Amino acid sequence: MPEQPEVSIRNLSKSFDGIEVLRDVDLEVKSGEVVSILGSSGSGKSTLLRCINWLETPDRGEIRINGERIGLQDKTQKPMSRRELAKVRTQLGMVFQSFNLWPHLNVLRNVTEALIYVQGLKKSDAVERAMAFLHKVGMAEKAASYPATLSGGQKQRVAIARALAMQPKVMLFDEPTSALDPELVGEVLSVMKDLSSEGYTMIIVTHEMDFARNVSDQVVFLEKGIIIEKSAPEIFFHSPRSERVRRFLELDKVV
Amino acid sequence: MSNWEILWASRDVFWQGFGNTLTIFSISAVLSFLLGSLLLFSMEGVRPRLKIPLRIFIDAMRMLPFLILAYLFYYGLPSVGIRMTAWQAGVLALVLYHGAYFAEILRGSRITLSSGQEEAAIAQGFSRPTMFLRIILPQLVLRTRGVMGNQLIILLKDTAFLVIITVRELTAAANSLSSTYFIPMEAFIVVIGFYWMISLALEQGIRFLGRIGEKRGFNNA
Amino acid sequence: MDGNAWGLLLQGAWTTAWISGVSILLGVFLGLVVALLRLAKIPFLDQLLGAYISLARATPLVTLILFIFLSGPTLGINLNRSTAAIMALTLNTTAFNAEIWRSAFNNFSKEQREAAMAVGMTPWVYFRRIMLPQTVITSLPNLVNEMSFLVKGSPAIAVIGIVDLTRVTNRISAVTYDPLPPILAAGALYMAMIGLLVWGQRIAERKANRLAM
Repeated sequence: MPEQPEVSIRNLSKSFDGIEVLRDVDLEVKSGEVVSILGSSGSGKSTLLRCINWLETPDRGEIRINGERIGLQDKTQKPMSRRELAKVRTQLGMVFQSFNLWPHLNVLRNVTEALIYVQGLKKSDAVERAMAFLHKVGMAEKAASYPATLSGGQKQRVAIARALAMQPKVMLFDEPTSALDPELVGEVLSVMKDLSSEGYTMIIVTHEMDFARNVSDQVVFLEKGIIIEKSAPEIFFHSPRSERVRRFLELDKVV
Repeated sequence: MSNWEILWASRDVFWQGFGNTLTIFSISAVLSFLLGSLLLFSMEGVRPRLKIPLRIFIDAMRMLPFLILAYLFYYGLPSVGIRMTAWQAGVLALVLYHGAYFAEILRGSRITLSSGQEEAAIAQGFSRPTMFLRIILPQLVLRTRGVMGNQLIILLKDTAFLVIITVRELTAAANSLSSTYFIPMEAFIVVIGFYWMISLALEQGIRFLGRIGEKRGFNNA
Repeated sequence: MDGNAWGLLLQGAWTTAWISGVSILLGVFLGLVVALLRLAKIPFLDQLLGAYISLARATPLVTLILFIFLSGPTLGINLNRSTAAIMALTLNTTAFNAEIWRSAFNNFSKEQREAAMAVGMTPWVYFRRIMLPQTVITSLPNLVNEMSFLVKGSPAIAVIGIVDLTRVTNRISAVTYDPLPPILAAGALYMAMIGLLVWGQRIAERKANRLAM
């Protein structure tokens, strides 16, 4: 029996105001795999990621996390209740482009908040776990600081710790370095690289070509809502099948 | 006896009025804040059924003088069989009236809150009520602390209207002393002093909240 | 409610309207004067005006009106009810308006002053032709907002026996023995008056936003 994929996406379609953003997207991500999603802006790559944890509701298609359906009831095809949805979502950690830390809580409490009020951990256990993950991303000594006092790179590392602390099966990254000053990109990418070598399953929407080349197991190229290339990085970056990807890569080199 | 000595001799009347005003104010402040938060929460979500009626209620309160509402509850409602004491009618009017204002203040700040924070909470599996209570509401309070403080002072001042519907609060105390001994000047100077003190204490409280807010980068108050 | 009751109600509304109107006019003007005096930072006067503003903002209108109306005679000043009411409302609203004017002046850009001096305007000409017209537009939304607060506070004048739109409901129900209809009708009339001000405030806001661009 073949290994069950951690994430499986089938026939996913989504349109906004009559404009099709995703069309019949299929994707499988195995456990421990790192998948980078590339594409020019407006290609639908962020929408794809946001559909995976149902922040956007797709029009058609199905998404399964470890075989478990997200968004719709498997039997009835009716929308899940908020409670059921929240439960499936705990398997998915999400890191946003704009960090989305909660400014009224300090770094530690940004991480512990969901541990205590969603997972129901005791406060001492939550703090212990939070500190472990803050340590992992190198932000332990900033535990008492407030988000407003942090740099963008530091904020993003806290956001990663916040997502990791929920101990999800899959980590979703939505352009995690796009809002950062160039000199702060490295610290975030290095944390992500560590996670990949620890065997985390990761789906990453990114513009960082080098990172995609060096870290991913699979590179997906999206154009106008359609996957037009899906291959290992060696093939993708050296001998892509499609003309469009070739042009995309050349453009990147020029810049 | 000088006028001030007369006042000192009847200090019990002041204390009682002061105590009543503080009690009415505290109860109404807490309840109207809770009501305001509840109103805001009921208007959240994609298709809240209650949105339109609540909107009408809030706008109506904002276009009415407080006293006419107190009149309605104290003088008007008995003719449809609902009887309240002056105290009950007064507190109910204060809570409904200022609850609407608190809801509006919070809503004004709510619509400027970035949706990303909400998405982060949803992605972490927060339920709507928990997210509202732990992520959204605390931020709104920190952001609107200045306006909230002003509203609390307005609430405090509105308690004085209740003298007109015969509640024995601070202004009523001054009024009764001034007519008993005919020393209006001194009696009212004392109660105005009391009101000033409570307001200054409230402003101090808001400033304290401001320091908490500033540490977290909430400077836009 | 019969025609007679409606007549009384409209009289009450008129009383509310004219007493509020006079206080608003006085308050807007005196607020400007107080703001300018405070901007001049004259020692002692500045502290005095600061204390007045703090005190006036903390004093309930009902209390202020009783204070003025009842303690006037003990100082040998006999005020009629309407004068006492207008004095109290004006003292109250002036304090709020002064702060509105002052913050508008404080937020006024320095560059414009430099530009005006550079073309040789005297400070007075600069104030009259450049600063004041813009400040009026930027303060107007807040001033109109304060006007609706004044109308909402105006029932306080009922406490010294003025038959305004709120108190007139007692008069009417003393005859009809049914207080509910006049109270509801008075509420509707208040909504009309304040609604008019809210509408004016929206227009003022649109104008002010255009200036801000």
